[in-house]
Amino acid sequence: MIETPCRDVPLQEWTAALAAARSEGFDFFDWLTAVDETDAPESPGFDLVCHLMNSSTGQSSHGALARVLVRTRVPNGQSAASATGLWSGAAWHERETHEMFGIDFEGFDDGTGLGLRPLLLPNGFDGTPLRKSFVLAARASKAWPGAKEPGESSEGGEGSPAHTEKPGRRKIAPPGVPDSTWGPR
Amino acid sequence: MRVELPMPRVGPGNDDAPRPIKVVLNWGRRYSLWVFNFGLACCAIEFIAASMARHDFIRLGVIPFAPGPRQADLMVVSGTVTDKMAPAIRRLYDQMPEPKYVISFGACSNSGGPYWDSYCVTKGVDQLIPVDVYVPGCPPRPEALLQGIIRLQEKIASETLSTKAIRAKYAGSRRAAAGEVTRPLVARPHPTRPQVTRPQVTRPHVTDRDTGGELS
Ligand code: SF4
Repeated sequence: MIETPCRDVPLQEWTAALAAARSEGFDFFDWLTAVDETDAPESPGFDLVCHLMNSSTGQSSHGALARVLVRTRVPNGQSAASATGLWSGAAWHERETHEMFGIDFEGFDDGTGLGLRPLLLPNGFDGTPLRKSFVLAARASKAWPGAKEPGESSEGGEGSPAHTEKPGRRKIAPPGVPDSTWGPR
Repeated sequence: MRVELPMPRVGPGNDDAPRPIKVVLNWGRRYSLWVFNFGLACCAIEFIAASMARHDFIRLGVIPFAPGPRQADLMVVSGTVTDKMAPAIRRLYDQMPEPKYVISFGACSNSGGPYWDSYCVTKGVDQLIPVDVYVPGCPPRPEALLQGIIRLQEKIASETLSTKAIRAKYAGSRRAAAGEVTRPLVARPHPTRPQVTRPQVTRPHVTDRDTGGELS
Protein backbone atom coordinates (compact mmCIF):
# COMPACT_ATOMS: atom_id res chain seq x y z
CA MET A 1 0.00 0.00 0.00
CA ILE A 2 1.25 3.44 -0.90
CA GLU A 3 1.09 5.91 1.92
CA THR A 4 -0.87 9.05 1.14
CA PRO A 5 1.49 12.05 0.97
CA CYS A 6 0.93 14.48 3.82
CA ARG A 7 1.67 18.19 3.81
CA ASP A 8 2.16 19.80 7.19
CA VAL A 9 1.43 23.50 7.12
CA PRO A 10 1.35 26.20 9.80
CA LEU A 11 -2.06 27.23 11.03
CA GLN A 12 -1.99 30.65 9.31
CA GLU A 13 -1.47 29.01 5.90
CA TRP A 14 -4.27 26.47 6.29
CA THR A 15 -6.68 27.77 3.66
CA ALA A 16 -3.82 28.96 1.42
CA ALA A 17 -2.43 25.40 1.42
CA LEU A 18 -5.84 23.97 0.64
CA ALA A 19 -6.33 26.48 -2.18
CA ALA A 20 -2.87 25.63 -3.54
CA ALA A 21 -3.71 21.91 -3.49
CA ARG A 22 -6.96 22.63 -5.23
CA SER A 23 -5.27 24.60 -8.00
CA GLU A 24 -2.83 21.69 -8.44
CA GLY A 25 -5.79 19.54 -9.38
CA PHE A 26 -6.81 18.12 -5.99
CA ASP A 27 -10.32 19.40 -6.53
CA PHE A 28 -12.34 16.69 -4.79
CA PHE A 29 -12.90 17.28 -1.08
CA ASP A 30 -13.11 13.89 0.61
CA TRP A 31 -13.13 14.56 4.33
CA LEU A 32 -11.92 16.80 7.11
CA THR A 33 -11.45 15.84 10.72
CA ALA A 34 -9.25 16.39 13.74
CA VAL A 35 -6.97 14.28 15.93
CA ASP A 36 -6.57 15.05 19.62
CA GLU A 37 -2.82 15.57 20.18
CA THR A 38 -3.17 17.61 23.35
CA ASP A 39 -0.81 15.19 25.11
CA ALA A 40 1.94 15.59 22.50
CA PRO A 41 5.30 16.57 24.05
CA GLU A 42 5.78 19.56 21.74
CA SER A 43 3.19 22.07 20.52
CA PRO A 44 0.16 20.27 21.94
CA GLY A 45 -3.14 20.85 20.21
CA PHE A 46 -5.41 19.32 17.64
CA ASP A 47 -4.28 18.05 14.26
CA LEU A 48 -6.69 19.28 11.65
CA VAL A 49 -6.54 16.91 8.71
CA CYS A 50 -8.09 17.26 5.27
CA HIS A 51 -8.09 14.56 2.59
CA LEU A 52 -8.26 15.67 -1.02
CA MET A 53 -8.35 13.77 -4.27
CA ASN A 54 -7.56 14.60 -7.85
CA SER A 55 -10.65 13.74 -9.84
CA SER A 56 -8.95 13.94 -13.23
CA THR A 57 -6.61 11.05 -12.39
CA GLY A 58 -7.66 7.43 -12.14
CA GLN A 59 -8.42 6.86 -15.81
CA SER A 60 -5.51 4.42 -16.14
CA SER A 61 -6.03 0.69 -15.92
CA HIS A 62 -5.31 0.39 -12.19
CA GLY A 63 -7.59 3.31 -11.56
CA ALA A 64 -6.34 4.87 -8.33
CA LEU A 65 -7.06 8.55 -7.76
CA ALA A 66 -4.15 10.73 -6.72
CA ARG A 67 -4.69 11.89 -3.16
CA VAL A 68 -3.12 14.15 -0.59
CA LEU A 69 -3.52 14.93 3.09
CA VAL A 70 -3.13 18.48 4.37
CA ARG A 71 -2.50 18.79 8.07
CA THR A 72 -2.06 21.59 10.58
CA ARG A 73 -1.77 21.83 14.35
CA VAL A 74 -4.40 23.95 16.08
CA PRO A 75 -3.46 24.84 19.68
CA ASN A 76 -6.25 24.36 22.19
CA GLY A 77 -8.53 27.37 22.27
CA GLN A 78 -7.48 28.77 18.90
CA SER A 79 -9.64 28.67 15.83
CA ALA A 80 -8.83 27.64 12.28
CA ALA A 81 -9.92 29.23 9.03
CA SER A 82 -12.90 27.66 7.36
CA ALA A 83 -12.64 25.76 4.09
CA THR A 84 -16.27 26.36 3.17
CA GLY A 85 -15.18 29.12 0.81
CA LEU A 86 -13.27 26.55 -1.24
CA TRP A 87 -15.66 23.60 -0.98
CA SER A 88 -19.23 24.11 0.22
CA GLY A 89 -19.26 20.44 1.18
CA ALA A 90 -16.73 21.12 3.91
CA ALA A 91 -19.56 22.60 5.99
CA TRP A 92 -20.80 19.28 7.40
CA HIS A 93 -17.26 18.17 8.18
CA GLU A 94 -16.46 21.40 9.96
CA ARG A 95 -19.70 21.25 11.95
CA GLU A 96 -18.87 17.71 12.99
CA THR A 97 -15.29 18.62 13.90
CA HIS A 98 -16.65 21.56 15.84
CA GLU A 99 -19.10 19.52 17.90
CA MET A 100 -16.73 16.60 18.46
CA PHE A 101 -13.51 18.51 19.21
CA GLY A 102 -14.67 22.02 20.02
CA ILE A 103 -12.56 23.62 17.29
CA ASP A 104 -13.95 26.87 15.90
CA PHE A 105 -13.80 27.70 12.23
CA GLU A 106 -13.53 31.34 11.34
CA GLY A 107 -15.53 32.45 8.34
CA PHE A 108 -17.71 29.35 8.36
CA ASP A 109 -20.57 29.80 5.90
CA ASP A 110 -22.95 27.11 4.76
CA GLY A 111 -25.44 29.47 3.23
CA THR A 112 -27.88 29.37 6.13
CA GLY A 113 -26.28 32.04 8.26
CA LEU A 114 -26.75 29.85 11.34
CA GLY A 115 -23.06 29.36 11.93
CA LEU A 116 -21.40 26.35 13.52
CA ARG A 117 -24.05 24.24 15.21
CA PRO A 118 -24.24 20.57 16.18
CA LEU A 119 -24.72 18.17 13.32
CA LEU A 120 -24.89 14.66 14.73
CA LEU A 121 -25.15 14.92 18.51
CA PRO A 122 -28.59 14.79 20.11
CA ASN A 123 -30.09 18.11 21.13
CA GLY A 124 -28.86 19.36 24.45
CA PHE A 125 -25.68 17.28 24.45
CA ASP A 126 -23.01 18.87 26.59
CA GLY A 127 -19.32 18.61 25.82
CA THR A 128 -17.03 17.58 23.00
CA PRO A 129 -17.00 13.79 23.12
CA LEU A 130 -14.00 13.02 20.90
CA ARG A 131 -11.59 15.02 23.03
CA LYS A 132 -9.38 12.87 25.20
CA SER A 133 -10.37 14.99 28.19
CA PHE A 134 -14.06 14.10 27.77
CA VAL A 135 -15.07 11.80 30.61
CA LEU A 136 -17.45 9.00 29.72
CA ALA A 137 -20.61 9.39 31.75
CA ALA A 138 -21.22 5.66 31.92
CA ARG A 139 -17.81 5.06 33.51
CA ALA A 140 -18.26 7.91 35.94
CA SER A 141 -21.49 6.49 37.32
CA LYS A 142 -20.76 2.77 37.26
CA ALA A 143 -17.82 0.38 37.08
CA TRP A 144 -17.20 -1.12 33.68
CA PRO A 145 -19.28 -4.32 33.60
CA GLY A 146 -17.19 -6.08 30.98
CA ALA A 147 -14.12 -8.32 31.00
CA LYS A 148 -11.15 -8.40 28.65
CA GLU A 149 -10.91 -12.17 28.35
CA PRO A 150 -13.59 -14.84 28.26
CA GLY A 151 -14.09 -16.32 31.71
CA GLU A 152 -12.96 -13.20 33.51
CA SER A 153 -15.48 -11.58 35.71
CA SER A 154 -15.74 -7.97 36.65
CA GLU A 155 -16.39 -8.97 40.26
CA GLY A 156 -12.69 -9.61 40.84
CA GLY A 157 -13.03 -13.37 41.09
CA GLU A 158 -10.44 -16.05 40.28
CA GLY A 159 -8.27 -15.10 37.33
CA SER A 160 -9.32 -11.50 37.29
CA PRO A 161 -6.68 -8.86 36.55
CA ALA A 162 -6.54 -7.90 40.23
CA HIS A 163 -4.93 -11.27 40.98
CA THR A 164 -2.72 -11.74 37.95
CA GLU A 165 -1.40 -8.24 37.41
CA LYS A 166 2.24 -7.64 38.29
CA PRO A 167 2.38 -5.29 41.25
CA GLY A 168 4.99 -2.96 39.72
CA ARG A 169 3.08 -2.29 36.54
CA ARG A 170 2.04 1.30 36.13
CA LYS A 171 -1.61 1.62 35.37
CA ILE A 172 -2.43 3.98 32.54
CA ALA A 173 -6.10 4.74 32.30
CA PRO A 174 -7.33 5.03 28.73
CA PRO A 175 -8.75 8.40 27.66
CA GLY A 176 -12.25 8.98 28.90
CA VAL A 177 -11.98 6.77 31.96
CA PRO A 178 -12.49 8.93 35.04
CA ASP A 179 -9.54 9.00 37.44
CA SER A 180 -9.65 8.65 41.21
CA THR A 181 -10.69 12.28 41.69
CA TRP A 182 -14.13 11.21 40.52
CA GLY A 183 -14.46 9.17 43.67
CA PRO A 184 -14.76 5.45 44.23
CA ARG A 185 -16.98 3.45 41.93
CA MET B 1 -57.02 18.58 11.61
CA ARG B 2 -56.92 16.49 14.72
CA VAL B 3 -58.05 12.90 14.87
CA GLU B 4 -58.98 11.46 18.24
CA LEU B 5 -58.96 7.69 18.13
CA PRO B 6 -58.81 5.43 21.15
CA MET B 7 -55.93 2.98 21.35
CA PRO B 8 -57.27 -0.36 20.11
CA ARG B 9 -57.21 -2.91 22.89
CA VAL B 10 -58.73 -6.18 23.89
CA GLY B 11 -62.04 -5.15 25.34
CA PRO B 12 -63.35 -5.72 28.84
CA GLY B 13 -65.18 -8.78 27.45
CA ASN B 14 -61.93 -10.61 27.85
CA ASP B 15 -62.11 -10.20 31.64
CA ASP B 16 -65.28 -12.25 31.85
CA ALA B 17 -64.52 -14.72 29.10
CA PRO B 18 -64.59 -18.32 30.29
CA ARG B 19 -61.31 -20.17 30.44
CA PRO B 20 -61.65 -22.10 27.18
CA ILE B 21 -62.26 -18.84 25.33
CA LYS B 22 -59.14 -17.35 26.90
CA VAL B 23 -57.14 -20.32 25.73
CA VAL B 24 -58.44 -19.78 22.22
CA LEU B 25 -57.73 -16.05 22.39
CA ASN B 26 -54.19 -16.59 23.60
CA TRP B 27 -53.65 -19.33 21.05
CA GLY B 28 -54.72 -17.00 18.28
CA ARG B 29 -52.59 -14.20 19.62
CA ARG B 30 -49.42 -16.20 19.98
CA TYR B 31 -49.48 -17.63 16.45
CA SER B 32 -50.23 -14.42 14.62
CA LEU B 33 -47.54 -12.05 15.72
CA TRP B 34 -47.11 -9.38 13.11
CA VAL B 35 -43.53 -8.38 13.60
CA PHE B 36 -42.04 -4.96 13.24
CA ASN B 37 -38.29 -4.97 12.79
CA PHE B 38 -36.47 -2.12 14.45
CA GLY B 39 -33.17 -2.96 12.79
CA LEU B 40 -30.46 -0.56 13.89
CA ALA B 41 -27.13 -2.27 13.29
CA CYS B 42 -25.40 -5.57 12.54
CA CYS B 43 -27.94 -7.63 14.52
CA ALA B 44 -30.62 -6.65 12.04
CA ILE B 45 -28.86 -8.83 9.46
CA GLU B 46 -29.27 -11.87 11.71
CA PHE B 47 -32.90 -10.94 12.22
CA ILE B 48 -33.40 -10.80 8.47
CA ALA B 49 -31.66 -14.16 8.15
CA ALA B 50 -34.14 -15.57 10.67
CA SER B 51 -37.00 -14.37 8.48
CA MET B 52 -35.64 -16.00 5.33
CA ALA B 53 -36.16 -19.51 4.01
CA ARG B 54 -33.60 -21.45 6.05
CA HIS B 55 -34.74 -20.38 9.50
CA ASP B 56 -38.15 -19.15 8.49
CA PHE B 57 -39.91 -17.82 11.57
CA ILE B 58 -43.21 -17.71 9.69
CA ARG B 59 -43.61 -21.37 10.65
CA LEU B 60 -43.79 -20.16 14.27
CA GLY B 61 -46.53 -17.74 13.35
CA VAL B 62 -44.39 -14.64 13.23
CA ILE B 63 -45.41 -12.71 10.17
CA PRO B 64 -42.86 -10.42 8.49
CA PHE B 65 -43.25 -7.54 8.12
CA ALA B 66 -46.01 -5.32 9.40
CA PRO B 67 -46.47 -2.31 7.16
CA GLY B 68 -45.95 -0.06 10.15
CA PRO B 69 -46.09 0.01 13.93
CA ARG B 70 -49.87 0.51 13.91
CA GLN B 71 -50.33 -2.95 12.39
CA ALA B 72 -47.73 -4.72 14.52
CA ASP B 73 -47.98 -6.88 17.65
CA LEU B 74 -44.30 -7.54 18.17
CA MET B 75 -41.35 -5.22 17.91
CA VAL B 76 -37.88 -6.70 17.63
CA VAL B 77 -35.22 -4.16 18.48
CA SER B 78 -32.07 -5.49 16.85
CA GLY B 79 -28.98 -3.37 17.02
CA THR B 80 -27.35 -0.45 18.73
CA VAL B 81 -29.80 1.98 20.28
CA THR B 82 -28.38 5.50 20.33
CA ASP B 83 -29.61 8.42 22.37
CA LYS B 84 -30.50 10.18 19.17
CA MET B 85 -32.63 7.24 18.03
CA ALA B 86 -34.33 6.80 21.41
CA PRO B 87 -37.23 9.22 20.79
CA ALA B 88 -38.07 7.44 17.54
CA ILE B 89 -38.14 4.04 19.26
CA ARG B 90 -40.36 5.33 22.01
CA ARG B 91 -42.65 7.03 19.52
CA LEU B 92 -43.09 3.97 17.33
CA TYR B 93 -43.62 1.76 20.37
CA ASP B 94 -46.36 4.09 21.57
CA GLN B 95 -48.03 3.81 18.18
CA MET B 96 -48.35 0.03 18.38
CA PRO B 97 -51.77 -1.22 19.46
CA GLU B 98 -51.99 -3.18 22.70
CA PRO B 99 -51.34 -5.96 23.52
CA LYS B 100 -47.80 -5.45 22.28
CA TYR B 101 -44.59 -7.31 22.87
CA VAL B 102 -40.93 -6.42 22.57
CA ILE B 103 -37.97 -8.69 21.98
CA SER B 104 -34.59 -7.13 22.59
CA PHE B 105 -32.24 -8.88 20.18
CA GLY B 106 -28.51 -8.76 20.82
CA ALA B 107 -26.09 -7.39 23.37
CA CYS B 108 -26.44 -3.82 22.14
CA SER B 109 -30.14 -3.48 22.68
CA ASN B 110 -29.96 -5.55 25.88
CA SER B 111 -27.36 -3.40 27.60
CA GLY B 112 -25.39 -1.26 25.19
CA GLY B 113 -23.14 -4.24 24.44
CA PRO B 114 -19.65 -3.45 23.18
CA TYR B 115 -20.59 0.22 23.11
CA TRP B 116 -21.55 0.40 26.77
CA ASP B 117 -18.81 3.01 27.18
CA SER B 118 -19.92 5.24 24.37
CA TYR B 119 -21.15 8.76 24.89
CA CYS B 120 -24.05 8.29 22.51
CA VAL B 121 -25.30 4.71 23.04
CA THR B 122 -28.33 3.99 25.23
CA LYS B 123 -27.50 1.39 27.88
CA GLY B 124 -30.22 -0.99 26.86
CA VAL B 125 -33.55 -0.45 25.15
CA ASP B 126 -35.32 -1.41 28.39
CA GLN B 127 -34.56 2.10 29.60
CA LEU B 128 -37.10 3.30 27.07
CA ILE B 129 -39.71 0.58 26.65
CA PRO B 130 -40.70 -2.56 28.58
CA VAL B 131 -39.00 -5.63 27.14
CA ASP B 132 -40.54 -9.12 27.25
CA VAL B 133 -37.69 -11.32 26.08
CA TYR B 134 -33.96 -10.64 25.89
CA VAL B 135 -31.89 -12.59 23.39
CA PRO B 136 -28.18 -12.53 24.30
CA GLY B 137 -25.32 -12.63 21.82
CA CYS B 138 -23.24 -10.40 19.60
CA PRO B 139 -24.90 -11.12 17.26
CA PRO B 140 -27.19 -13.92 18.39
CA ARG B 141 -27.66 -16.63 15.81
CA PRO B 142 -31.05 -16.81 14.10
CA GLU B 143 -31.79 -19.95 16.14
CA ALA B 144 -31.50 -17.82 19.26
CA LEU B 145 -34.22 -15.56 17.96
CA LEU B 146 -36.42 -18.60 17.27
CA GLN B 147 -35.85 -19.64 20.88
CA GLY B 148 -36.73 -16.14 22.01
CA ILE B 149 -39.93 -16.23 19.98
CA ILE B 150 -40.90 -19.57 21.52
CA ARG B 151 -40.25 -18.10 24.99
CA LEU B 152 -42.48 -15.18 24.14
CA GLN B 153 -45.22 -17.48 22.89
CA GLU B 154 -45.07 -19.43 26.13
CA LYS B 155 -45.47 -16.15 27.94
CA ILE B 156 -48.44 -15.16 25.83
CA ALA B 157 -50.09 -18.56 26.31
CA SER B 158 -50.02 -18.20 30.08
CA GLU B 159 -51.21 -14.61 30.02
CA THR B 160 -54.53 -13.35 31.30
CA LEU B 161 -55.20 -10.28 29.30
CA SER B 162 -57.57 -8.26 31.38
CA THR B 163 -57.64 -4.53 31.03
CA LYS B 164 -56.15 -4.37 34.51
CA ALA B 165 -53.26 -6.62 33.56
CA ILE B 166 -52.59 -4.55 30.46
CA ARG B 167 -52.54 -1.39 32.55
CA ALA B 168 -50.10 -2.99 34.96
CA LYS B 169 -47.84 -4.05 32.14
CA TYR B 170 -47.82 -1.00 29.95
CA ALA B 171 -48.66 1.89 32.20
CA GLY B 172 -47.14 0.63 35.42
CA SER B 173 -43.71 -0.26 34.13
CA ARG B 174 -43.13 2.86 32.14
CA ARG B 175 -39.59 4.08 32.65
CA ALA B 176 -40.19 7.15 30.53
CA ALA B 177 -43.17 8.86 29.03
CA ALA B 178 -43.04 9.51 25.32
CA GLY B 179 -42.73 13.20 25.93
CA GLU B 180 -39.55 12.74 27.93
CA VAL B 181 -37.68 11.14 25.10
CA THR B 182 -39.43 12.92 22.27
CA ARG B 183 -37.91 15.96 20.72
CA PRO B 184 -39.54 18.10 18.12
CA LEU B 185 -38.64 17.22 14.58
CA VAL B 186 -35.71 19.06 13.12
CA ALA B 187 -36.85 22.12 11.25
CA ARG B 188 -35.30 23.19 8.03
CA PRO B 189 -32.87 26.07 8.52
CA HIS B 190 -34.15 29.41 7.40
CA PRO B 191 -32.77 29.92 3.91
CA THR B 192 -30.85 33.03 2.98
CA ARG B 193 -29.89 31.63 -0.41
CA PRO B 194 -32.65 31.26 -2.99
CA GLN B 195 -33.90 27.69 -2.79
CA VAL B 196 -36.07 25.45 -4.86
CA THR B 197 -39.54 25.55 -3.36
CA ARG B 198 -41.12 22.21 -2.71
CA PRO B 199 -44.84 21.45 -2.59
CA GLN B 200 -46.17 21.78 0.93
CA VAL B 201 -47.08 18.45 2.50
CA THR B 202 -49.57 18.51 5.32
CA ARG B 203 -49.69 15.60 7.68
CA PRO B 204 -52.52 14.69 10.00
CA HIS B 205 -51.76 15.13 13.66
CA VAL B 206 -51.99 12.10 15.84
CA THR B 207 -52.45 12.31 19.53
CA ASP B 208 -50.58 10.11 21.90
CA ARG B 209 -53.20 8.74 24.26
CA ASP B 210 -50.93 8.17 27.21
CA THR B 211 -49.22 11.49 27.51
CA GLY B 212 -51.69 13.72 25.81
CA GLY B 213 -48.66 14.98 23.95
CA GLU B 214 -48.88 15.62 20.29
CA LEU B 215 -46.91 13.55 17.84
CA SER B 216 -46.48 15.21 14.52
S1 SF4 C 1 -24.89 -6.87 19.65
FE1 SF4 C 1 -23.07 -7.07 18.36
S2 SF4 C 1 -23.85 -7.77 16.37
FE2 SF4 C 1 -25.58 -6.91 17.53
S3 SF4 C 1 -25.74 -4.77 16.92
FE3 SF4 C 1 -24.47 -4.86 18.74
S4 SF4 C 1 -22.36 -4.99 17.97
FE4 SF4 C 1 -23.74 -5.52 16.28
